Amino acid sequence: MADHEASKINHDNHLLLDQPLLRLPYELLRKNFRSAHFTVEKESTTLNKLLKETAKGSLDSKTSPEDVVKDLDTMIAKMRGMKRKLSTYADEETRLYKQLDARVAHLRELSDMRSVEDVKYEAWSRKRLDRLLVDYMLRHGYNTSAQALANEREMHDLVDVETFLTMSKIRESLENGSVTEALAWCNDNKKELRKLQSNLEFLLRCQQYIELLRINTQSKSVEAIAHAKKYLAPFQEQYPDEVREMAALLAHRPTNKDLPPKYRAWYSPDRWSKLASTFVEAHNKLLGLPTFPLLHTALSSGLSALKTPACHGTQKTTSSSQPGHSHTSMTTSVCPICSIELNELAKNVPYAHHSKSHLDNDLLCLPNGRVYGQAKLDEYAAKAGLAEGQVKDLVTGEVYSRAALKKVFA
Amino acid sequence: MATQVTAMEALQKELDRLNRTPGLSATVDKVDKIIEMLTSVKDQIIQSGMDTHVASMAITRTQNPIKSTFEKINDDLKGVTATQRKLGKMLDKHFPLKDLPSEHDAMADHEPLINRAISMHLLREGQFSVASTFIEETGDAVGFEHVNAVIEGQEQASMSDNYDDEAMDEDHEDENDDEDEDEDEVVSPLGVLATGSGFQQLQSLSSFQSHELEAKFSQMYTILQDIKSRNLLSAIEWARNNSVELEARGSNLEFELSRLQYVWLFKGPTVNGLPDDKFNGTAGALLYAQQNFWRFGNRYIGEIQQLANAQIYAPNLPKSPYWKIFSTETAFADVASSFTREFCSLLGLSAESPLHVAVTAGALALPLLIKYQQATRARGTEWTTTNELAFETPLPERMLYHSIFVCPVSKEQTTESNPPMMIPCGHVLAKETLQRLLKGTRFKCPYCPAEGLEKDARRIMI
Ligand SMILES: [Zn+2]
Ligand SMILES: [Zn+2]
Repeated sequence: MADHEASKINHDNHLLLDQPLLRLPYELLRKNFRSAHFTVEKESTTLNKLLKETAKGSLDSKTSPEDVVKDLDTMIAKMRGMKRKLSTYADEETRLYKQLDARVAHLRELSDMRSVEDVKYEAWSRKRLDRLLVDYMLRHGYNTSAQALANEREMHDLVDVETFLTMSKIRESLENGSVTEALAWCNDNKKELRKLQSNLEFLLRCQQYIELLRINTQSKSVEAIAHAKKYLAPFQEQYPDEVREMAALLAHRPTNKDLPPKYRAWYSPDRWSKLASTFVEAHNKLLGLPTFPLLHTALSSGLSALKTPACHGTQKTTSSSQPGHSHTSMTTSVCPICSIELNELAKNVPYAHHSKSHLDNDLLCLPNGRVYGQAKLDEYAAKAGLAEGQVKDLVTGEVYSRAALKKVFA
Repeated sequence: MATQVTAMEALQKELDRLNRTPGLSATVDKVDKIIEMLTSVKDQIIQSGMDTHVASMAITRTQNPIKSTFEKINDDLKGVTATQRKLGKMLDKHFPLKDLPSEHDAMADHEPLINRAISMHLLREGQFSVASTFIEETGDAVGFEHVNAVIEGQEQASMSDNYDDEAMDEDHEDENDDEDEDEDEVVSPLGVLATGSGFQQLQSLSSFQSHELEAKFSQMYTILQDIKSRNLLSAIEWARNNSVELEARGSNLEFELSRLQYVWLFKGPTVNGLPDDKFNGTAGALLYAQQNFWRFGNRYIGEIQQLANAQIYAPNLPKSPYWKIFSTETAFADVASSFTREFCSLLGLSAESPLHVAVTAGALALPLLIKYQQATRARGTEWTTTNELAFETPLPERMLYHSIFVCPVSKEQTTESNPPMMIPCGHVLAKETLQRLLKGTRFKCPYCPAEGLEKDARRIMI
């Protein structure tokens, strides 16, 4: 179905794909602030305490002026450290505000447009595609491409390169068998992860334990038991079954010949890629990012809306394309779903629903069963330089007498 | 509409205000002050020659100022958090979070196909360097270097002949010629990429194919650049090399370009800036026509007549009936877009980026999809698993590329298994509808008094 209404931009719903655009910098702003606040609280308490002790010691003549100066040096060093940290947070704050400004400006451009036929919409929509492409590339770890595209299009403030690069690093470290980076991230986001009831930290601690058991030496087993007491026991209540299985693993080493599958699974190298995806999931959830790339969402929806039964048919129509078969279409553009870029991909979605026919006027049926609008046949006949009273099939190139055409009432 | 403008403006205002509040950089300045205070205490003690009294006085006296500076820092932070909360509230109000489809990702298992679509999009957009970075990074190029080196040499030699060859085969090709394609694949690697059969075996864009495509698109960009700078010669040459194909498509691109070249020459050196010689101006245009227009035979005889007639009006063209053909205001942009369309079509590609069209259509259809998904969530049906969407997703006219026939009786779209059938009175029904109407071998048209026999209904292709 096509109508004028369909070209209107529905502003309440047109930005569904753009939600993270403002949400993410806002979330990061809050997170950044929380970190800054934490630093201030911690350092101010420490400094006030140090100051008080030194002053008291000095008044009570227990602390010599030399030691007062020494204490002052410690305090100054602490404050310099705090200043460095806060400067980093302040820079991040500035960067995020700049992003927010650019993003709101980008979205405001759209609010002036009424129809998708507006020439300005074309440019805006292209920018959106570029954003979605960068997002897709970043989520798949194609970081160099993502940055190249962002640079090329000068849209650094509209994409989240930094966020995903950080994520990418942690994901890769997990894929390469290291939990250190992911554990540090868990520590930075302890409160939020608890709120989300994420099991990421628990799984990471389990993995550390498993790696100790894998080595299978006396000293490592001792280490493993110590690790379990310190890091796994606190999860006893939350994950009783898993903690019990971890304990049982002590007796079920990877070298055991008849290791039951449920224990073998814990030793599988696949665990690392599972940890990586658990991390990515937690990361995206924490920052309010969609579970899968927005490009996927846009494509599933768009491919379906554009797809027709003809797009994967065996018959040629005026909008399909097969190079090497030149009689494809007459001055019409190739359908994007029929075009090779998307044809295979579009096989995975349903075709659009239409309740009304969409046909040319004055349809005529050629003797070969192909139907065209009269205007198209006339135009093609003229362009082909046919004699009066003849028409040519737009797809097959067959020439017929007009007398042989039959009117179609569809 | 109006509300959205206000929403975005309200957001902007809130942001401006946030930017004006002393943020974290103000706290940095205050930490600096604390460092200064501590340093000055230290200096006093050292200057006093490590006097015990001075030391205890100075350190005691500095406690309160430092404490109050920390309090000021805390006040700053409170201010920051208050404004941030306000921004959050504005976001919630004007930009409320709406759920996206999240349960099933129909695209999840198709990374190679999406990657290829992106590579081709970047190439067609002329983003050659990003495209090659992407192809390399996605690993699609691996393993094809050798093939590439071997074939590229051959290909270069036969590149321009390729289409002519194929076009010549055209005449004895018919509906069922798909089987012949295996042969073509050997000749034209781009054909492998493009045609249905070869394309299915292909999971990713090989380096060779990407180079091939890149070469094609860079040719397209060079020609477009020429057209932009009012030089039509490379475009005309391309059209001429592909004239058989273009003609079969019913394209008059070659004539369109040649006519514009005539007009452009006709305008003479003061307008076109070309050398003032016998190849320019009205005489130059005539010469050009004599040398080139014979190629079109009788096909554009009327138009060519008009161009010739204009010679008579030459000094006073703006007042002549031919002025319109001679206006070049949008002519170059027009031929540029015709050229792009034809160039892409001969490669089997749509003229606009399919990825761009699909994402734009996706943004338009998404709200309906979400609405439908919410309505059916309880039933647990996934929209992606059916053959046909259960709801309408209206798109603008220009995004409809195929004719759609919906059977007026069953209200179903026709498909290959349920094709449109024309009955003798000229009315069209879906095959299944016709079968339901049958009484023995006869049926009555639901739209007119005519009756017919099953054998007289014929399948048509709309
Ligand atoms: Zn199609
Ligand atoms: Zn009838």
